[in-house]
Amino acid sequence: MSDRTAGIRAIAGKWLQEGTVEAVLGWEQGTYRDKTAPVLVRKAEEVDRLVFNERCTNNLMTYLKRDPVRSLSTVGIVAKGCDIKALIGLIQESQVPREKVKILAVTCPGVRNADGKRPVKCAACDVNTPVFYDEIVGEKIASNPDRAARFRDVEALEAMTPEERHRFWREQFDKCIRCYACRQACPLCICSRCIAEKNQPQWIETSAHPRGNFAWNLIRAYHLAGRCIECEACETACPADIPLMLLNRYMAKVVEQSFGYEAGRDPQAQPPLRTFKLDDDNSFIL
Amino acid sequence: MTTEAGGSKAPAAWEPKIVAFICNWCTYTGADLAGTSRMKYPPNVRVIKIPCTGRFDPLFMLKAFERGADGVLVSGCHPGDCHYTAGNYNARRKFTVWRKLLDFAGIDLDRVWFSWISAAEGGKWVETVRNFTETIRAKGPFREYGEMIDVR
Amino acid sequence: MPYLKMDSADLPKVARKLAASGARLVLPVREGDERFYREGADPDSLDLTTIPKNSIKEFLFPKTERILRYQYRGKDVTVEDVAPTAAGRTVIFGARPCDAASLPVVEPLWNWDYKDEFFNARRAATVIVTYACRTAPDEACFCVSVGLGPSSDQGSDVLLFPLDETVVAVRFVTAAGRELESAFAEFGKGEVAEEALEAFRKTGEASLAHRKKFDRVQGWLEAHFEDRLWEEKAFRCIGCGTCTFLCPTCHCFDIQDESCFDAGYRLKNWDACQFSLFTLHTSGHNPRDTQPKRYRQRIYHKYAIYPQKFGKILCTGCGRCVAHCPVNLSLYDVVATAQERAERGD
Repeated sequence: MSDRTAGIRAIAGKWLQEGTVEAVLGWEQGTYRDKTAPVLVRKAEEVDRLVFNERCTNNLMTYLKRDPVRSLSTVGIVAKGCDIKALIGLIQESQVPREKVKILAVTCPGVRNADGKRPVKCAACDVNTPVFYDEIVGEKIASNPDRAARFRDVEALEAMTPEERHRFWREQFDKCIRCYACRQACPLCICSRCIAEKNQPQWIETSAHPRGNFAWNLIRAYHLAGRCIECEACETACPADIPLMLLNRYMAKVVEQSFGYEAGRDPQAQPPLRTFKLDDDNSFIL
Repeated sequence: MTTEAGGSKAPAAWEPKIVAFICNWCTYTGADLAGTSRMKYPPNVRVIKIPCTGRFDPLFMLKAFERGADGVLVSGCHPGDCHYTAGNYNARRKFTVWRKLLDFAGIDLDRVWFSWISAAEGGKWVETVRNFTETIRAKGPFREYGEMIDVR
Repeated sequence: MPYLKMDSADLPKVARKLAASGARLVLPVREGDERFYREGADPDSLDLTTIPKNSIKEFLFPKTERILRYQYRGKDVTVEDVAPTAAGRTVIFGARPCDAASLPVVEPLWNWDYKDEFFNARRAATVIVTYACRTAPDEACFCVSVGLGPSSDQGSDVLLFPLDETVVAVRFVTAAGRELESAFAEFGKGEVAEEALEAFRKTGEASLAHRKKFDRVQGWLEAHFEDRLWEEKAFRCIGCGTCTFLCPTCHCFDIQDESCFDAGYRLKNWDACQFSLFTLHTSGHNPRDTQPKRYRQRIYHKYAIYPQKFGKILCTGCGRCVAHCPVNLSLYDVVATAQERAERGD
């Protein structure tokens, strides 16, 4: 058993015993291949279910918007650096009070997806050792981010002509089945009634034809602009293998270049689409 | 709702359909001024009044294209002149992000124009609408977006 | 009775022949690291390595389709039927037995209180060439748990048995399958005795011997609606539609109207009981207002209600819900728990 797993169990057990939290949200070993699965542990006797390994890919912060976690007054959450960025975003937007969550941070060398490969976020990661937490387990890991890795595939698309890009996305959105796994897995998709679930009026067509799928995927990317922390939960969950992170990382690039803002760093920061500068780019406006 | 296959060569009878989302206080009043001044300009624009460009939502634009608009114009008060103080500043950031996303998705940005037109600028309204209409006329109808309803 | 023997390398050629008449050809092909059933792919890209991520459902019940057109003229409205799309001859070449078997399972539903002309038109025009599984292609498979097996011929017109890396035995199951004999005969290289297929079948089933048989589940479910099992197991469900939409037997749909001014279409779109709004009434009341209730419903529909109504389990054990659930909520685990508790008497 790794030191991290032992450390997580020890702290979770302590918190539950002392009543610091009502429950601890973490990962347990799954039952399909080497997958791990989210688990909510309510009793100290059950902490041995908790594990940490490189297949702990789910961003558990997504459970903050759902019952039962939503209704708890305190919850401990085992979290990697990327997961914590989501919580920082939720705190910024006053969606989760800071006091509610006890962050059980874990140092992380990187995770692996089902295909055994590291996601792009790990190559670009500079929070291998989280900085925002209540307790931390695991040996300190020095970050060595390849920041260029973040936008490499986005730049490849930018190099295409608009027609080529349209053909690319047309092919991708043809595959979308509107299962909303992207939205449900995303920790920042928190609307109690999503815009796609409104029909008085209905702005987004619910049909899975390419026109409806363009509207859904573009609006979701737009609603995440400046908020997405690039945890890749959406792309990992997508059963149609659509490269959703191309959209989200492109939006992150635009927000960084236009407004000098990166999501998930500072809980006191103002979200970029809620603020403005007098000298924001005006060049495209007649 | 048309399901005919769209081409960029329009039949002789085709006229560009421009939908313009314009703010109540500046651009709408400017358009009114163009009217009371009896300025002539192409009748292709359909105006939708919103209280402020801050009210603009990309959903409006997508719906316009779904319903057959060939071009969409969004216009409001100049920065500093917003009736609600800062609505247009918020809008400017939204426009920046949304416009880039459209481009990334391969939508022709020349079918999407943004402008600041004040209540006194009847002339600018006329000029903008005329230029946009002629730009769209040269490009042809934008049927491709509205017609993406067949599953392949 | 002996079966036709052929080289597996010739399978794409057979597929090409079957498509030559203008039939819509659906094949499993590789995309990235996954396989998907796709229509219109080149027969040479046929990839039978493993079970595709999607099911064949979308070719008989598309994710969205237009079912009628309406037009207003003043106060009058005319309604026109819309012919089912893709109802011309279709060959699904290389379906897995769990996919083929889904068709006899759902056919009673599509012909229950309303005969769905859209599904029926496509079903009548579709011929299924199934590729049997020598061993279970994925850890998630559990077809034997629901009374099927890796060589099941349910729903198949032709059944291909990959006896080894290069040899395939061909069994023409139905009259529609026998009509395809000439396409295969050209590539025939002799015969295979029926006994070889028995050995094949046994190998396949042995690879799934660890899977529980779900023969006591319906009875247990009928007696345990309020059990704590649902709260415990369904915590991690995030309420997406992945399991529902990848499932070959899930069939719920939503009706939508899409109009432009005075004319429009009515559409039939996939829907999922896992969505929070699925049972929301206009009054605001939602009888399935929590995810455990929605998840419970899915299990009940498949393993209790559908069997009560139609005498079949609404599941073919394809395992996609297990393999692709983003949070590894395994339907097999949950139903196996029910089976175990039934066997224990609690």
